[in-house]
Amino acid sequence: MMQPRRTSPLSPLVQAAPALPAAVLFFIGPGAAIVERSGIPFVVLAVVGALIGYAVFVAVAWLAWWRRTFWIDDDGDLRLDSGLIQRSARRLQLSRLQSVDIVAPFLARLAGLVEVRVEVAGSGDSRIILRYLTRADADALRGLILQVTRAEESDDAPQSQALAQVPAGRLLAGLLLRSVTAGLLLATILLLVVTSLSQGPAGLVLVIITGGLPILSVVTEFLANYDFRVARTREGLRIQRGLLSTQSRTIPPDRVHAVSIVSPLLWRHWGWVRVTVTIAGVQGDEVRPDVLIPVAPRDEALRLLAEVLPDVDVDALPFESAPSRARWRAPLTWRSLACAITPQVIATRSGRMTLRTSIAPHARVQSVRVTQGPWERRFGLATVHADVAPGPVDVAGRHLAEKDVAALAPREVDEMRRARLRG
Amino acid sequence: MDSSADAFAPPVAGWIPVSPRLATARRVTLVLVYVLVIAGGVVLALTPLPVLWLVVYAVAALAAFVWTWWIIGRRVRSFGYAEREGDLLVVSGILVRRLVVVPYGRMQMVDLRAGPIDRWLGISTVQLHTAAATTDAAIPGLLPADAADLRDRLAARGEERTAGL
Repeated sequence: MMQPRRTSPLSPLVQAAPALPAAVLFFIGPGAAIVERSGIPFVVLAVVGALIGYAVFVAVAWLAWWRRTFWIDDDGDLRLDSGLIQRSARRLQLSRLQSVDIVAPFLARLAGLVEVRVEVAGSGDSRIILRYLTRADADALRGLILQVTRAEESDDAPQSQALAQVPAGRLLAGLLLRSVTAGLLLATILLLVVTSLSQGPAGLVLVIITGGLPILSVVTEFLANYDFRVARTREGLRIQRGLLSTQSRTIPPDRVHAVSIVSPLLWRHWGWVRVTVTIAGVQGDEVRPDVLIPVAPRDEALRLLAEVLPDVDVDALPFESAPSRARWRAPLTWRSLACAITPQVIATRSGRMTLRTSIAPHARVQSVRVTQGPWERRFGLATVHADVAPGPVDVAGRHLAEKDVAALAPREVDEMRRARLRG
Repeated sequence: MDSSADAFAPPVAGWIPVSPRLATARRVTLVLVYVLVIAGGVVLALTPLPVLWLVVYAVAALAAFVWTWWIIGRRVRSFGYAEREGDLLVVSGILVRRLVVVPYGRMQMVDLRAGPIDRWLGISTVQLHTAAATTDAAIPGLLPADAADLRDRLAARGEERTAGL
């Protein structure tokens, strides 16, 4: 199917790059002594020292690179042999493929390289990460993998169709106006005003926390979600994003276990929402890969949602609201608490400042749980949970009337069985 | 309040309780913990603190002991399970009540566990796992033979349901 081959020969250079600063530091100590004795300028010494250190790391990385080969065997499995002394042979069954992602970390990107992550269904470490390939090789490998997994499908479907894009301005506005961030920034401004009025420097220490943390998170998320684009491909929704390092990942629609539509208070004026998803077998790694769209007008978000959850009309869910006595258990959020069951999905609603609607198809719900704390019991309330795969989405109808829960829970169990029979 | 419908109502066949030996096992653990508590009391007695402190300590420890002893009994009696045609039900808890419904088709794994005290008293725990980490379906305090039977039955049913896909 494919001859064993190595990753790009430039890989060792990139992999050893993080060692450069360490090499510089390492040579500063002895360097000072040598400068004194020999009169060689310090800069020259530092550069030479760093290069020697770098070369050592490159040599080690090169040996590992030389001993690392990958190929697709005749059974359609992706194989990776690696290890200098302790050899390891890894084998991924591509028939169980979950995703092929192409990621371009900052340093690799400078060298024109990308990394390819292949993930298959399974628990634990069921993926291969190839560092690094050229863009063209990565695309070819991805094509080959998808060809192996979808050999039986015809090739006439269009390659990809753009569905949504997040402009930088909206992304930045959205990040700044998230409830927690906006609150902290407001607190920062207040602190600055109070401090400058009272002329006491003590408040400035707090400014670092109230101002620094949200700005840091805004910057990180802005960099990660910059130029966020969603396209429909044959394999599912392809999400591309990132400024310094770009990421591309594909969400196969049949792997979506639950979705959540989130609308923070300050976004509602523009009608913006965020959509997060729980995808089976993919644990959230690095920066929020669980986001289907970070900020978008509601219509656009619902169109995207329809791609992964067809036949669900989010605006017409038959919500059963919590009774007004739920205010004694949840004084702030009781108005929004609700749960709905349709023939396709179970949906729950919660939150006051940040409204959240979570939806899971019956076929993906693993178990149904009913819980009742002492305070809930006092007011005849109970909570129904639909347990789904681990991820950002929590489907729980909280503090509903106990008699409603007594009806909802068996109904959900029924729908789960029916969904299972439908396959 | 509305008590016409109970979300925790038992199924037609009723709940199967767990063995009262579970209470014994938990009380043994409690006693073991109290060896440490008593050791703490001894240390306290050796320090030159007023006797009043020692009395307060002893009374608080005794009260906690009696209360825990009593609550263990109630908690163990609150456990129950039922095997229905398509799913397993587990109920538990007094202060916070829980009911879990796991369809056989969603089970990924069935565990059988027994710690040293459990083995000594002859009980074990059957735990169900699904793809959701939040599925909290453990049935403690089963007699080993019952536990093994239950596990095999659940595993067989799980297979049967999944095979029908």
